[in-house]
Amino acid sequence: MRNVLALLRRELNAYFASVLGYIVIMFFLVVMGVTFATVVGYLSTGPKQVTAMKIMFSMFWLPSLVVIPMITMRLLAEEKRAGTLEMLMTAPVTDFQVVFAKYLGAVVLYSLMWGLTGLYVVILRHFAGMSSALDLGPIASGYIGVLVIGQFLIAIGLLTSSLTKNQMAAALMSFAAVFILLIVMNWLSFLFQGGPVSKIVRMFSAFEHMEDFSRGILDVRPIVFYLSATAWALFTTTRIVESRKWR
Amino acid sequence: MQPMIQVDNLTKRYAGVTALNGVSFAVNRGEIVGFLGPNGAGKSTTMRILTGFIPASAGRVQVAGFDVFEDSLEVRRHIGYMPENNPLYVDMRVAEYLKFRAKIKGVPRGERRERLEEVVKQCGLDEVRHRVIGQLSKGFRQRVGLADALLAEPDLLILDEPTIGLDPVQIRQVRQLIKDLGKRHTILLSSHILPEVEMTCNRVIIINKGRILASDTPENLVKTLHAGGLIHVEVRGPAVEVAAKLRDVTGVASVEIGTGADEFVRVTVEPKAGSDPREEIFKTVTASGWTLRELVRQRTSLEDIFVQVMREEDEAEEERRESRRGLR
Repeated sequence: MRNVLALLRRELNAYFASVLGYIVIMFFLVVMGVTFATVVGYLSTGPKQVTAMKIMFSMFWLPSLVVIPMITMRLLAEEKRAGTLEMLMTAPVTDFQVVFAKYLGAVVLYSLMWGLTGLYVVILRHFAGMSSALDLGPIASGYIGVLVIGQFLIAIGLLTSSLTKNQMAAALMSFAAVFILLIVMNWLSFLFQGGPVSKIVRMFSAFEHMEDFSRGILDVRPIVFYLSATAWALFTTTRIVESRKWR
Repeated sequence: MQPMIQVDNLTKRYAGVTALNGVSFAVNRGEIVGFLGPNGAGKSTTMRILTGFIPASAGRVQVAGFDVFEDSLEVRRHIGYMPENNPLYVDMRVAEYLKFRAKIKGVPRGERRERLEEVVKQCGLDEVRHRVIGQLSKGFRQRVGLADALLAEPDLLILDEPTIGLDPVQIRQVRQLIKDLGKRHTILLSSHILPEVEMTCNRVIIINKGRILASDTPENLVKTLHAGGLIHVEVRGPAVEVAAKLRDVTGVASVEIGTGADEFVRVTVEPKAGSDPREEIFKTVTASGWTLRELVRQRTSLEDIFVQVMREEDEAEEERRESRRGLR
């Protein structure tokens, strides 16, 4: 545990010692800010069936497509390229501790970014006047959804980063993975409406899950699904890092 | 007492390539051992196996009594390792990096500051402690790597090419540092620079193509591997006669007459293995009534031995290949 904390601190330092952390956060805030302004503009035209934060949550895929590859591409690919993995792995820490700390570091950065959007809730609350317009329950579960889905995507990004020494290649692979997991799954659920295939696709579709979360439905099944998928991804990543030993 | 490093029959195969082929050696506590060999000989591979970064294909490796495969973490706690090219986190500051390394190496919280101060002082890093590692000169980076290796007060230091890429002044500083460290630690260092090993180590292991060719003190290597250097003699006297007389001296293998300036003859004497006929030569020359102006034995350096061992190895291989061809 002490090792993980020390490694985690180093990971967070790395984000903020380079420009990368700031650029990612800036990108995220610009995308989310523009979206928020558009949403508020749309909602102010008259009474609507949806709330502002519900639309914001349903737009989570947009920044994720770029943010997830950006914060994960460096993690293992750069250590391999620079040779610092050797320094790390010859210290008395296990491969899993290193992988887990990197995953945690990215999750913390991701949470921090989304945490900043809490400001939107404050703004809405201030200007909406009536607190009835702002039901905090669905907002809280929406944030849980963003975190649960996001941490899984991060684990996938970390996995792609372990496959190569090249950050760009890692970024492209994780972009492809996020694209398939979010966008392609959504298309599929449009394609197969009704029938058993649709049922299966809907079980894995992050859009469907997010829809539920942002409505205030905290279903245990998707949470268990994402957490176990993350465990699988982290385990596989550890094995790939270890693979230097049996090649 | 148990040796610090015990390697038995170590073999490492990468896909299709045998990097190490049945290597065995031991390093005792307190020794400074130099691993010497050309690039690609298997030095780094051996070190990476010792530190648990990669496993062996076959053989047994123990460090401080722990098996490298079974007790990898325990072994790593006993080793301070500086890999080839000394990779560091270039975005961190020196003190920050060392603090991080102390933490993951399990230096207890209460001792961290003290250890950090100690290695900063030892490696002369005080003036750069707040600088970003990426902006440091190669010499300072090397010292950061050394400081890192020393942090957890390891029993064993493994340094892969510690002076590579440094300028002569820095090389001298690092060598001196290693020598000082040798008083308190067991050190295994690798190099392909011979004078370096000759100067810093009490024992040399020569390795080539994954096999150990020789292992001894630099002095003993000089003594046993080479009969000793040639002897140069300058005598005032008739050239042919001088050569004939010297050829008869016991312990002389062959004599060659060189070109003499003025009336002196310059003769090169090759002694027989293990003998030193200088005294006899002196006696013979004076007994013949000639004058002796110079009598020097060429000092064999480790470099000569290295070249010789490598050549013998190549020739042996050539022979093996020939005989195999003959069999076909």
